Amino acid sequence: MLEVKDMAMSRDEIFQKVQEVLVDALGVDEDEVTAKATLMADLGAESIDFLDIVFRLEKAFAIKIPREELFPAESLMNNPELISNGKLTAVGLAELRTRMPHTDITEFQKDPSINKLGSLFTVNAIVNYIDIKLKK
Amino acid sequence: MRWIWIDKFVEFNSGQSAVAIKNVTLAEEHLHDHFPGFPVMPECLMIEAMAQTAGILVGEAKKFQEKVILAKIKKCVFFDYVKPGDTLKIEANIESIAPEAAGTTGKITRQEQLIAEIDLMFSHIDKNLGGKKFPEENFVFTDTFKSLMQGITN
Amino acid sequence: MRFILIDKIVLLETGNRIKTVKCVSLAEEYLADHFPVFPVLPGVLLLQGLIESASWLVRETENFAHSMILLEEARNIKYKSFLSPGSQIEYTVDVKTIEENISSFTGIGISEGQEIVQGSFGLRHFNLADKNPAMAAVDDIVIENMKKRWWLLRQ
Repeated sequence: MLEVKDMAMSRDEIFQKVQEVLVDALGVDEDEVTAKATLMADLGAESIDFLDIVFRLEKAFAIKIPREELFPAESLMNNPELISNGKLTAVGLAELRTRMPHTDITEFQKDPSINKLGSLFTVNAIVNYIDIKLKK
Repeated sequence: MRWIWIDKFVEFNSGQSAVAIKNVTLAEEHLHDHFPGFPVMPECLMIEAMAQTAGILVGEAKKFQEKVILAKIKKCVFFDYVKPGDTLKIEANIESIAPEAAGTTGKITRQEQLIAEIDLMFSHIDKNLGGKKFPEENFVFTDTFKSLMQGITN
Repeated sequence: MRFILIDKIVLLETGNRIKTVKCVSLAEEYLADHFPVFPVLPGVLLLQGLIESASWLVRETENFAHSMILLEEARNIKYKSFLSPGSQIEYTVDVKTIEENISSFTGIGISEGQEIVQGSFGLRHFNLADKNPAMAAVDDIVIENMKKRWWLLRQ
Protein backbone atom coordinates (compact mmCIF):
# COMPACT_ATOMS: atom_id res chain seq x y z
CA MET A 1 0.00 0.00 0.00
CA LEU A 2 1.40 3.37 -0.96
CA GLU A 3 2.02 5.80 1.87
CA VAL A 4 0.43 9.20 1.43
CA LYS A 5 3.95 10.63 1.18
CA ASP A 6 4.77 8.61 -1.93
CA MET A 7 1.88 9.88 -3.96
CA ALA A 8 2.54 13.28 -5.48
CA MET A 9 -0.11 15.54 -4.02
CA SER A 10 -0.90 18.57 -6.11
CA ARG A 11 -0.85 21.99 -4.48
CA ASP A 12 -4.62 22.20 -4.97
CA GLU A 13 -5.17 18.90 -3.17
CA ILE A 14 -2.98 20.09 -0.32
CA PHE A 15 -4.92 23.36 -0.14
CA GLN A 16 -8.25 21.49 0.03
CA LYS A 17 -7.11 19.35 2.93
CA VAL A 18 -5.56 22.31 4.77
CA GLN A 19 -8.80 24.20 4.25
CA GLU A 20 -10.81 21.31 5.79
CA VAL A 21 -8.47 21.17 8.75
CA LEU A 22 -8.81 24.89 9.42
CA VAL A 23 -12.61 24.85 9.02
CA ASP A 24 -12.82 22.03 11.61
CA ALA A 25 -10.23 23.39 14.01
CA LEU A 26 -11.38 27.01 14.00
CA GLY A 27 -15.09 26.70 13.30
CA VAL A 28 -14.87 29.18 10.41
CA ASP A 29 -16.62 28.96 7.04
CA GLU A 30 -14.83 27.49 4.04
CA ASP A 31 -14.97 30.77 2.14
CA GLU A 32 -13.10 32.52 4.95
CA VAL A 33 -10.14 30.19 4.47
CA THR A 34 -8.45 31.89 1.53
CA ALA A 35 -4.78 31.44 0.62
CA LYS A 36 -3.82 34.84 2.02
CA ALA A 37 -5.90 34.63 5.21
CA THR A 38 -3.82 34.97 8.39
CA LEU A 39 -4.50 32.40 11.09
CA MET A 40 -4.64 34.85 13.97
CA ALA A 41 -6.04 38.13 12.65
CA ASP A 42 -8.38 36.73 9.97
CA LEU A 43 -9.35 33.31 11.30
CA GLY A 44 -9.20 33.96 15.06
CA ALA A 45 -6.66 31.25 15.95
CA GLU A 46 -5.05 31.25 19.38
CA SER A 47 -2.28 29.21 20.94
CA ILE A 48 -4.45 26.18 21.75
CA ASP A 49 -5.74 26.28 18.17
CA PHE A 50 -2.19 26.18 16.80
CA LEU A 51 -1.61 22.94 18.66
CA ASP A 52 -4.95 21.55 17.47
CA ILE A 53 -4.06 22.50 13.88
CA VAL A 54 -0.66 20.78 14.09
CA PHE A 55 -2.28 17.57 15.43
CA ARG A 56 -4.87 17.58 12.66
CA LEU A 57 -2.32 18.29 9.91
CA GLU A 58 -0.17 15.41 11.18
CA LYS A 59 -3.17 13.13 10.93
CA ALA A 60 -4.44 14.43 7.56
CA PHE A 61 -1.07 14.16 5.81
CA ALA A 62 0.48 11.27 7.78
CA ILE A 63 3.56 13.33 8.65
CA LYS A 64 5.29 14.39 11.83
CA ILE A 65 5.44 18.11 12.44
CA PRO A 66 8.06 18.91 15.09
CA ARG A 67 7.16 21.65 17.50
CA GLU A 68 8.49 25.02 16.33
CA GLU A 69 9.03 23.87 12.73
CA LEU A 70 5.71 25.13 11.35
CA PHE A 71 5.25 28.09 13.71
CA PRO A 72 8.66 28.87 15.26
CA ALA A 73 7.48 32.10 16.87
CA GLU A 74 8.54 31.32 20.43
CA SER A 75 12.22 30.68 19.81
CA LEU A 76 12.48 33.69 17.50
CA MET A 77 10.76 36.02 19.94
CA ASN A 78 12.62 34.87 23.03
CA ASN A 79 16.12 35.16 21.61
CA PRO A 80 17.61 38.57 22.52
CA GLU A 81 20.26 38.28 19.79
CA LEU A 82 17.58 38.38 17.12
CA ILE A 83 15.53 41.26 18.45
CA SER A 84 16.28 44.95 18.99
CA ASN A 85 13.69 47.55 20.03
CA GLY A 86 10.86 45.16 19.35
CA LYS A 87 11.99 44.43 15.82
CA LEU A 88 13.95 41.59 14.24
CA THR A 89 17.56 42.53 13.49
CA ALA A 90 19.30 41.61 10.22
CA VAL A 91 20.53 38.45 11.97
CA GLY A 92 16.99 37.86 13.17
CA LEU A 93 15.62 38.18 9.65
CA ALA A 94 18.24 35.77 8.33
CA GLU A 95 17.25 33.30 11.05
CA LEU A 96 13.60 33.78 10.09
CA ARG A 97 14.35 33.01 6.45
CA THR A 98 16.15 29.80 7.41
CA ARG A 99 13.53 28.65 9.89
CA MET A 100 10.46 29.60 7.88
CA PRO A 101 11.18 29.07 4.18
CA HIS A 102 7.47 28.39 3.78
CA THR A 103 6.51 31.99 4.53
CA ASP A 104 6.64 35.10 2.39
CA ILE A 105 8.52 37.78 4.32
CA THR A 106 8.58 40.52 1.64
CA GLU A 107 6.01 42.70 3.37
CA PHE A 108 7.13 41.80 6.88
CA GLN A 109 10.76 42.84 6.38
CA LYS A 110 9.71 46.41 5.60
CA ASP A 111 8.75 46.75 9.26
CA PRO A 112 9.90 43.60 11.07
CA SER A 113 8.15 44.33 14.36
CA ILE A 114 7.74 41.18 16.48
CA ASN A 115 4.12 42.14 17.08
CA LYS A 116 3.56 41.57 13.39
CA LEU A 117 5.15 38.12 13.31
CA GLY A 118 1.68 36.62 13.37
CA SER A 119 0.94 38.07 9.93
CA LEU A 120 3.37 35.54 8.46
CA PHE A 121 1.18 32.64 9.54
CA THR A 122 -1.10 32.46 6.53
CA VAL A 123 -2.99 29.57 4.98
CA ASN A 124 -0.49 29.74 2.12
CA ALA A 125 2.40 29.31 4.55
CA ILE A 126 0.84 26.06 5.79
CA VAL A 127 0.27 24.82 2.23
CA ASN A 128 3.89 25.64 1.35
CA TYR A 129 5.16 23.86 4.45
CA ILE A 130 3.18 20.70 3.68
CA ASP A 131 4.25 20.81 0.03
CA ILE A 132 7.94 21.03 1.01
CA LYS A 133 7.51 18.32 3.66
CA LEU A 134 5.78 15.87 1.35
CA LYS A 135 8.41 16.27 -1.34
CA LYS A 136 11.25 15.31 1.02
CA MET B 1 -21.32 18.06 45.69
CA ARG B 2 -17.90 16.60 44.84
CA TRP B 3 -16.31 17.43 41.54
CA ILE B 4 -15.78 13.80 40.55
CA TRP B 5 -17.77 12.62 37.59
CA ILE B 6 -16.54 9.06 37.20
CA ASP B 7 -16.86 6.21 39.71
CA LYS B 8 -14.18 3.77 38.66
CA PHE B 9 -11.94 2.65 35.84
CA VAL B 10 -12.68 -0.73 34.29
CA GLU B 11 -9.90 -0.67 31.72
CA PHE B 12 -6.65 1.27 31.46
CA ASN B 13 -4.08 1.02 28.68
CA SER B 14 -1.35 3.48 29.54
CA GLY B 15 -0.75 6.03 26.84
CA GLN B 16 -3.60 4.71 24.71
CA SER B 17 -7.11 4.23 26.02
CA ALA B 18 -9.21 3.96 29.14
CA VAL B 19 -12.76 3.03 30.11
CA ALA B 20 -14.52 4.37 33.19
CA ILE B 21 -18.05 4.05 34.47
CA LYS B 22 -20.42 6.48 36.14
CA ASN B 23 -23.60 5.60 37.95
CA VAL B 24 -26.38 8.18 37.87
CA THR B 25 -28.44 8.31 41.05
CA LEU B 26 -31.30 10.33 42.54
CA ALA B 27 -28.95 10.90 45.49
CA GLU B 28 -27.12 13.49 43.31
CA GLU B 29 -28.49 16.88 44.32
CA HIS B 30 -27.97 18.69 41.04
CA LEU B 31 -30.38 16.38 39.22
CA HIS B 32 -33.23 17.91 41.13
CA ASP B 33 -32.55 21.26 39.48
CA HIS B 34 -32.15 19.78 36.01
CA PHE B 35 -34.98 19.66 35.71
CA PRO B 36 -37.37 20.05 38.66
CA GLY B 37 -40.00 17.40 37.93
CA PHE B 38 -37.90 15.27 35.55
CA PRO B 39 -34.26 14.75 36.46
CA VAL B 40 -31.74 14.12 33.67
CA MET B 41 -27.96 14.24 33.79
CA PRO B 42 -26.79 17.59 32.44
CA GLU B 43 -24.87 17.15 29.18
CA CYS B 44 -22.08 19.41 30.44
CA LEU B 45 -21.44 16.93 33.27
CA MET B 46 -21.20 14.09 30.76
CA ILE B 47 -18.54 16.18 29.04
CA GLU B 48 -16.81 16.51 32.41
CA ALA B 49 -16.95 12.73 32.93
CA MET B 50 -15.15 12.37 29.60
CA ALA B 51 -12.72 15.15 30.52
CA GLN B 52 -11.82 13.35 33.73
CA THR B 53 -11.46 9.95 32.06
CA ALA B 54 -9.39 11.35 29.19
CA GLY B 55 -7.52 13.81 31.40
CA ILE B 56 -6.35 11.07 33.76
CA LEU B 57 -5.34 8.98 30.73
CA VAL B 58 -3.26 11.88 29.39
CA GLY B 59 -1.89 12.75 32.83
CA GLU B 60 -0.82 9.19 33.55
CA ALA B 61 0.98 9.07 30.18
CA LYS B 62 3.28 11.73 31.62
CA LYS B 63 3.37 10.14 35.07
CA PHE B 64 1.21 12.95 36.51
CA GLN B 65 4.08 15.40 36.21
CA GLU B 66 2.01 17.82 34.11
CA LYS B 67 -1.00 19.87 35.16
CA VAL B 68 -3.45 18.71 32.49
CA ILE B 69 -6.51 20.89 32.03
CA LEU B 70 -9.32 21.07 29.51
CA ALA B 71 -8.49 23.71 26.89
CA LYS B 72 -10.99 23.10 24.12
CA ILE B 73 -14.08 21.01 23.47
CA LYS B 74 -13.40 20.23 19.83
CA LYS B 75 -16.71 18.60 19.19
CA CYS B 76 -19.43 16.87 21.17
CA VAL B 77 -22.73 15.38 20.05
CA PHE B 78 -25.51 13.92 22.23
CA PHE B 79 -27.98 11.31 20.99
CA ASP B 80 -30.21 10.69 23.99
CA TYR B 81 -30.73 11.84 27.57
CA VAL B 82 -29.61 9.99 30.70
CA LYS B 83 -31.70 9.32 33.80
CA PRO B 84 -31.13 8.26 37.42
CA GLY B 85 -30.66 4.49 37.49
CA ASP B 86 -28.50 4.56 34.36
CA THR B 87 -24.89 3.39 34.29
CA LEU B 88 -22.69 5.14 31.75
CA LYS B 89 -19.58 3.68 30.17
CA ILE B 90 -17.04 6.34 29.21
CA GLU B 91 -14.36 5.34 26.70
CA ALA B 92 -11.47 7.66 25.88
CA ASN B 93 -8.55 7.36 23.45
CA ILE B 94 -5.44 9.49 23.10
CA GLU B 95 -5.33 10.68 19.52
CA SER B 96 -2.29 12.97 19.76
CA ILE B 97 0.12 13.90 22.53
CA ALA B 98 2.91 16.48 22.62
CA PRO B 99 4.87 18.19 25.41
CA GLU B 100 2.41 21.05 25.68
CA ALA B 101 -0.95 19.51 24.73
CA ALA B 102 -2.95 16.37 23.94
CA GLY B 103 -6.01 15.51 21.86
CA THR B 104 -8.51 12.77 22.76
CA THR B 105 -11.56 11.16 21.20
CA GLY B 106 -14.23 9.21 22.99
CA LYS B 107 -17.76 8.01 23.39
CA ILE B 108 -20.28 7.47 26.16
CA THR B 109 -22.64 4.51 26.01
CA ARG B 110 -25.45 3.15 28.14
CA GLN B 111 -25.80 -0.60 27.71
CA GLU B 112 -24.44 -0.55 24.16
CA GLN B 113 -26.60 2.44 23.17
CA LEU B 114 -24.55 5.42 21.99
CA ILE B 115 -25.27 8.44 24.18
CA ALA B 116 -22.51 10.84 23.15
CA GLU B 117 -19.34 11.36 21.13
CA ILE B 118 -16.86 13.78 22.66
CA ASP B 119 -13.49 15.01 21.30
CA LEU B 120 -11.34 17.16 23.57
CA MET B 121 -8.06 19.04 23.74
CA PHE B 122 -6.02 19.35 26.89
CA SER B 123 -3.27 21.81 27.70
CA HIS B 124 -0.30 21.15 29.96
CA ILE B 125 -0.51 24.53 31.60
CA ASP B 126 3.00 24.79 32.98
CA LYS B 127 4.23 24.53 29.39
CA ASN B 128 1.83 26.99 27.91
CA LEU B 129 0.50 30.00 29.67
CA GLY B 130 3.55 32.07 28.86
CA GLY B 131 4.48 33.99 31.96
CA LYS B 132 1.66 32.80 34.20
CA LYS B 133 2.91 30.96 37.24
CA PHE B 134 0.93 28.26 39.00
CA PRO B 135 1.31 26.69 42.43
CA GLU B 136 4.03 24.09 42.11
CA GLU B 137 2.18 21.10 43.47
CA ASN B 138 0.03 19.25 40.98
CA PHE B 139 -3.38 20.45 42.11
CA VAL B 140 -5.05 18.77 39.14
CA PHE B 141 -4.27 15.18 40.04
CA THR B 142 -5.27 14.93 43.65
CA ASP B 143 -5.20 11.77 45.74
CA THR B 144 -8.90 11.27 45.01
CA PHE B 145 -8.19 10.88 41.32
CA LYS B 146 -5.12 8.78 41.83
CA SER B 147 -7.07 6.43 44.06
CA LEU B 148 -9.41 5.70 41.14
CA MET B 149 -6.37 4.18 39.44
CA GLN B 150 -5.59 1.66 42.15
CA GLY B 151 -5.41 -1.88 40.91
CA ILE B 152 -6.24 -1.02 37.33
CA THR B 153 -3.13 0.16 35.51
CA ASN B 154 -1.28 -2.39 33.37
CA MET C 1 -25.70 23.29 46.29
CA ARG C 2 -27.97 24.22 43.42
CA PHE C 3 -27.31 23.46 39.79
CA ILE C 4 -28.00 26.90 38.31
CA LEU C 5 -25.11 28.46 36.46
CA ILE C 6 -26.41 31.97 35.80
CA ASP C 7 -27.70 34.52 38.33
CA LYS C 8 -29.59 37.08 36.31
CA ILE C 9 -30.70 38.02 32.83
CA VAL C 10 -29.58 41.54 31.93
CA LEU C 11 -30.71 41.77 28.33
CA LEU C 12 -33.10 39.79 26.18
CA GLU C 13 -34.06 40.35 22.55
CA THR C 14 -36.65 37.75 21.64
CA GLY C 15 -35.39 35.34 19.02
CA ASN C 16 -32.05 37.15 18.78
CA ARG C 17 -29.77 37.64 21.75
CA ILE C 18 -29.49 37.27 25.49
CA LYS C 19 -26.99 38.57 28.05
CA THR C 20 -26.71 37.05 31.51
CA VAL C 21 -24.43 37.41 34.50
CA LYS C 22 -22.97 34.87 36.93
CA CYS C 23 -21.16 35.68 40.16
CA VAL C 24 -18.50 33.22 41.29
CA SER C 25 -18.17 32.58 45.01
CA LEU C 26 -16.01 30.34 47.19
CA ALA C 27 -19.34 29.20 48.63
CA GLU C 28 -19.74 27.01 45.52
CA GLU C 29 -18.79 23.56 46.77
CA TYR C 30 -17.11 22.15 43.67
CA LEU C 31 -14.44 24.85 43.86
CA ALA C 32 -12.89 22.94 46.76
CA ASP C 33 -12.08 20.14 44.30
CA HIS C 34 -11.38 22.34 41.27
CA PHE C 35 -8.78 22.91 42.23
CA PRO C 36 -7.35 22.69 45.71
CA VAL C 37 -5.12 25.82 46.16
CA PHE C 38 -6.30 27.12 42.78
CA PRO C 39 -10.09 27.47 42.70
CA VAL C 40 -11.49 28.26 39.25
CA LEU C 41 -14.86 27.68 37.65
CA PRO C 42 -14.76 24.36 35.77
CA GLY C 43 -14.79 24.73 31.99
CA VAL C 44 -17.93 22.65 31.57
CA LEU C 45 -19.79 24.95 33.97
CA LEU C 46 -18.77 27.93 31.83
CA LEU C 47 -20.35 26.03 28.93
CA GLN C 48 -23.38 25.38 31.12
CA GLY C 49 -23.67 29.16 31.63
CA LEU C 50 -23.86 29.57 27.86
CA ILE C 51 -26.34 26.67 27.59
CA GLU C 52 -28.61 28.08 30.30
CA SER C 53 -28.49 31.54 28.74
CA ALA C 54 -29.49 30.13 25.35
CA SER C 55 -32.17 27.93 26.94
CA TRP C 56 -33.90 30.90 28.55
CA LEU C 57 -33.86 32.71 25.23
CA VAL C 58 -35.53 29.68 23.63
CA ARG C 59 -38.08 29.33 26.43
CA GLU C 60 -39.05 32.99 26.19
CA THR C 61 -39.10 33.00 22.40
CA GLU C 62 -41.28 29.89 22.13
CA ASN C 63 -43.41 30.96 25.11
CA PHE C 64 -42.45 27.97 27.29
CA ALA C 65 -43.81 25.49 24.77
CA HIS C 66 -41.33 22.74 25.71
CA SER C 67 -40.27 21.25 29.03
CA MET C 68 -36.99 19.71 27.93
CA ILE C 69 -34.22 21.87 26.48
CA LEU C 70 -30.93 19.99 26.20
CA LEU C 71 -27.52 20.41 24.61
CA GLU C 72 -27.40 18.55 21.32
CA GLU C 73 -23.93 19.51 20.14
CA ALA C 74 -21.08 21.92 20.79
CA ARG C 75 -18.11 22.84 18.62
CA ASN C 76 -14.84 24.65 19.25
CA ILE C 77 -15.64 25.65 22.80
CA LYS C 78 -12.38 27.37 23.74
CA TYR C 79 -11.25 28.18 27.25
CA LYS C 80 -9.10 31.27 27.13
CA SER C 81 -8.62 32.30 30.71
CA PHE C 82 -9.52 31.32 34.27
CA LEU C 83 -12.46 32.63 36.28
CA SER C 84 -11.86 32.93 40.01
CA PRO C 85 -14.07 33.45 43.07
CA GLY C 86 -14.96 37.11 43.56
CA SER C 87 -15.31 37.61 39.79
CA GLN C 88 -18.38 38.06 37.66
CA ILE C 89 -18.82 36.78 34.13
CA GLU C 90 -21.18 38.18 31.53
CA TYR C 91 -22.40 35.73 28.90
CA THR C 92 -23.60 36.96 25.51
CA VAL C 93 -25.39 34.44 23.35
CA ASP C 94 -26.46 35.21 19.78
CA VAL C 95 -28.98 33.18 17.81
CA LYS C 96 -27.98 31.58 14.52
CA THR C 97 -31.32 29.78 14.12
CA ILE C 98 -34.31 28.94 16.30
CA GLU C 99 -36.74 26.37 14.91
CA GLU C 100 -39.47 24.41 16.62
CA ASN C 101 -37.30 21.61 17.99
CA ILE C 102 -33.72 22.75 17.40
CA SER C 103 -31.72 25.92 17.70
CA SER C 104 -28.10 27.03 17.24
CA PHE C 105 -26.02 29.75 18.82
CA THR C 106 -22.65 31.39 19.22
CA GLY C 107 -21.71 32.47 22.69
CA ILE C 108 -18.98 34.24 24.63
CA GLY C 109 -18.24 34.83 28.30
CA ILE C 110 -16.27 37.89 29.38
CA SER C 111 -15.05 38.92 32.81
CA GLU C 112 -13.37 42.27 33.53
CA GLY C 113 -12.63 42.77 29.84
CA GLN C 114 -11.03 39.34 29.51
CA GLU C 115 -12.49 36.60 27.30
CA ILE C 116 -13.02 33.46 29.33
CA VAL C 117 -15.00 31.10 27.09
CA GLN C 118 -16.24 31.14 23.52
CA GLY C 119 -17.80 28.77 21.02
CA SER C 120 -20.81 27.47 19.07
CA PHE C 121 -23.49 25.06 20.18
CA GLY C 122 -26.95 23.74 19.40
CA LEU C 123 -29.92 22.79 21.58
CA ARG C 124 -32.88 20.50 21.11
CA HIS C 125 -36.26 21.21 22.65
CA PHE C 126 -39.16 18.81 23.09
CA ASN C 127 -41.86 17.55 25.39
CA LEU C 128 -41.82 14.10 26.96
CA ALA C 129 -45.41 13.76 25.75
CA ASP C 130 -44.11 13.80 22.15
CA LYS C 131 -43.06 10.18 22.59
CA ASN C 132 -45.35 9.23 25.46
CA PRO C 133 -48.67 11.09 25.88
CA ALA C 134 -48.92 9.88 29.48
CA MET C 135 -46.00 12.18 30.33
CA ALA C 136 -47.92 15.39 29.54
CA ALA C 137 -48.50 16.01 33.25
CA VAL C 138 -44.75 15.79 33.90
CA ASP C 139 -44.09 18.30 31.11
CA ASP C 140 -46.54 20.69 32.79
CA ILE C 141 -44.75 20.36 36.14
CA VAL C 142 -41.33 21.03 34.62
CA ILE C 143 -42.62 24.04 32.67
CA GLU C 144 -44.32 25.48 35.77
CA ASN C 145 -41.10 25.14 37.76
CA MET C 146 -39.02 26.71 35.02
CA LYS C 147 -41.47 29.64 34.83
CA LYS C 148 -40.93 30.24 38.56
CA ARG C 149 -37.17 30.25 38.04
CA TRP C 150 -37.60 32.60 35.08
CA TRP C 151 -39.20 35.25 37.28
CA LEU C 152 -36.36 34.92 39.75
CA LEU C 153 -33.76 35.49 37.04
CA ARG C 154 -35.55 38.47 35.56
CA GLN C 155 -35.75 40.42 38.82
